[in-house]
Parts: sequence; structure tokens; C-alpha cells
Amino acid sequence: MSARGEEKRKKLILQTLVFGGITAALYATAFSHASALAELFARGGYYAALPIVTVFVFSFAHGAFAGKLWSVLGIEAATKHAVQRTTAPAPRPVQRQRPRLRMNA
Amino acid sequence: MHDQAVEAVKFIDLTFINVAFLFIVGFIGGLVSGFIGSGGAFVLTPGMMSLGVPAAVAVASNMCHKFPKAMVGAYKRYKYGQVDLKLGLFMAASATVGVQVGIKIQEHILSKWGQAGSNLYVSLSFVAVLVIVGGYVFYDAWKISKSGGDEQKPRLAAWLQSINLPPMIHFKTSNVRISLWFTIPVGFITGLLAATIAVGGFAGVPGMIYVIGASSLIASATELVIAFLMGFGGTVKWAVHGMVDIRLTLIILAGSLLGVQLGAIGTTYVKEHMIKVVMGTIMLIVALSRALAVPNYLTQLGVLSFGESALSWLDTASFVTMCVALGVGAFIILRSMIKAKRSEPLVTAVETYEHA
Repeated sequence: MSARGEEKRKKLILQTLVFGGITAALYATAFSHASALAELFARGGYYAALPIVTVFVFSFAHGAFAGKLWSVLGIEAATKHAVQRTTAPAPRPVQRQRPRLRMNA
Repeated sequence: MHDQAVEAVKFIDLTFINVAFLFIVGFIGGLVSGFIGSGGAFVLTPGMMSLGVPAAVAVASNMCHKFPKAMVGAYKRYKYGQVDLKLGLFMAASATVGVQVGIKIQEHILSKWGQAGSNLYVSLSFVAVLVIVGGYVFYDAWKISKSGGDEQKPRLAAWLQSINLPPMIHFKTSNVRISLWFTIPVGFITGLLAATIAVGGFAGVPGMIYVIGASSLIASATELVIAFLMGFGGTVKWAVHGMVDIRLTLIILAGSLLGVQLGAIGTTYVKEHMIKVVMGTIMLIVALSRALAVPNYLTQLGVLSFGESALSWLDTASFVTMCVALGVGAFIILRSMIKAKRSEPLVTAVETYEHA
């Protein structure tokens, strides 16, 4: 692996650890107050916003962690169906003959 | 209603076995959803009920995990260029009407024939739809794999696309131009089925493939957009009544967010017809599972008479068969992913992007 690739991998591992830490902290907080939270979230009415906001927050942290974890483990999308737009060759400039100065004396 | 939920929250004891069961089923359900666009709910809801969770809380907690899972899956597959957002929005809009009609039908059956009648209606709908649609999807997948694995545009979709009935809509990602009047029934039936058997994707994905003419890859990815929008609406409804047990939701979500991304990645490895193989297989096994539940409801209605032990055995067999459906689906996905990864050294999307 090239030095650039190695650096990218290190960055990916660091990001995985950061998001993993955030996710673990979120779950630890939620489950250390599980009964109180469950009761509060089941009150209905305006309290309906609580479970919805909670799952959004957990999804962003845990979703990012999960995606990076699979990448660290070497499981990434193959190009066969993915991001086909980027695999197309860049348009080449049209080759035109350079204008020549002709002097018809 | 609120008190019932709070009581249920207090009642459920989260043992290690319960947590492990919900996490694993969440992971496998997520894997299948990420791959075929739907799945998992048909095992999770009865699974939670078997742990002692009241039906309403099980449905609500399942739905509350479904929409963020679908959101993450849709985002992942959007990055792969597989999501037709416009098609998803059109489908979700007509599906919302279908859900409302489905609920009205359910309420009517419940008031006329009671809980057993309602359960029988749900099971018979499950069996009829899954055998017909699942059977056809499976037959089509088998035909494609025999002919080399290349999908052809279905004849029905090609015919409908040729009819110029304004307003004509162009779905860019699917590369489909079709009349609005042909997309509405597909969305409507998806919603109707979602309200009846809680798995609208079993009609939505085949509908998008065979009626609208989207590829399996795009149909299954777009179904995640529909699942997100409808799941969100459903969750708001249930949460307002205080039915969501956030602990159950978070445990399932922990597994499903890992699974849904793996399933989404899987779609980039396998041939397109594998989506049909997995979907057809799961639908046929689930149909068998629901057929096993029918004698119980017929006994409750007094149409048939079965012994207690026989009914209990059939109930267990029905639930185990459902778990088998999900397990078989996950097994096919993982096996074809491993096979595809081994057979060709594929360059990852990220590397290609960097290279480009």
C-alpha cells in the first residue's frame, strides 16, 4: 500500500474509533437510564418527538460507525454497479489542427 | 392506551437472551432490507410478541426502527446511483392513500368478524399475495439465471410505457417514461399491503419491476425511500399514542444499521437477478409460514376444530418457518457476496473514485 493509502487507512480507523466511541456513549447513556427514558418516551402527545429525535441521532452516529467499520474490515462497494459515473473516462479535448499562417505571395 | 404502553415497558424484562435475539434478528432483517428493500418486520413483530410485548407496542417499536434503517440504507444506495428519488416520492404518495384504505378495510373486518376474522384475513392475504407474486418473482429469477443472468424489460412494463396517457412522467434514474395513471395503482397496492401484512415491499418492489419497468436494483433501492417515508409517518402516529418502547427500538436498530449497510454493499457484488432470487425465496417461505397459522384462526371462528396441542405446534412451526425465511434470505445474500468477491478481484468504489 502506498504512503497515501496508508495515511487514508489510518484516518479511516481513527474515524471509526471516534464514531464507535460516540455510539457506545449514546447507548451507555440510554441504557443506564433505560426505565426512566422508556417511561418518558411512552407518554405520547408532544413527547412523541423524543423517540423520533433519538432514533435520528443514534442513526447518524451508529450509521456512520457501521459504514466505516465495514470499510475498515475491507468490505466496500464494488464498482460493477456503484458510482458508475466516476468510472467513465473524462472527456478528451477534441484534437484540432493548429491554424497555420499562410502567405500567398 | 398510554397506560398500556407504560405498563408494557415496565413488564418487559430485558434479559441477555432477549437482547441477543433482537440484535441478531435486527442484523439479519437489516441485511435483507438493504438488499431487497424490505424484510425483517415480518419476523420482528411476532418475535417481540413472543417475548411478551403487547402487539401494538411490538408494531410501534418495530416501525420506529424501520424508518431510520431505511433512511441509512437509502442513503447508502443513493451513493451507488441506485435510488430513483422521484419514483420513490410518487410511489410513497399513492401508498399513503393505500394505507388509509387498508386500515378502513381492517377496521371493517374487525368490527364484523372480530380478532380471529381479522387475523384470518391478514393470513389469507399473506398467502395469496406471496404465493402469486413470490412464485412469479422466483420463476422469473430462475428463467434469468438459466439464460445467463441478464435482465430483460418485462413485457407488461414495455407495453404500459408505450401507451401515451397524459400526464407522462419521466423517471431519470430508472430511465423510464410512463403515465402517472400506471404508477398510482402500484403505489396504492403497496400501501394497501403495508396496512394489511406490514410488508408493503413485497408488492412495491415487484410492482416497480414488472409494471413500471425499473430494474431490480433500482426498484429495491427505491423501496427503501418508500419505507422511510411511510415508516416515519407510521411512527409519528404510534409515538403520539405512546406506544414506542425505545429500548426495544434501539436494540433492533443497533443490529439493523450494521446489516442494512452490508446488504446495500452486497447489491454491488452480485448479479441483478439475485435480488429476485432472494425476494422470491423469502416470499414463498413466508407464505408457507402464514398458511400454517390459518387452521388456528379457522378454529377460533368455529369453521374447523383442531386440538390445543396441534394448534400450539402449528403456531410454533409458523414462527420457526418465518425465522427460516429470513435466515435463508440472509444465507443466499452472504453466499453470493462471498462467491462474487472470490471470483473476481473487484476494485472498490472508493479506490475508483480516487483514481478518477
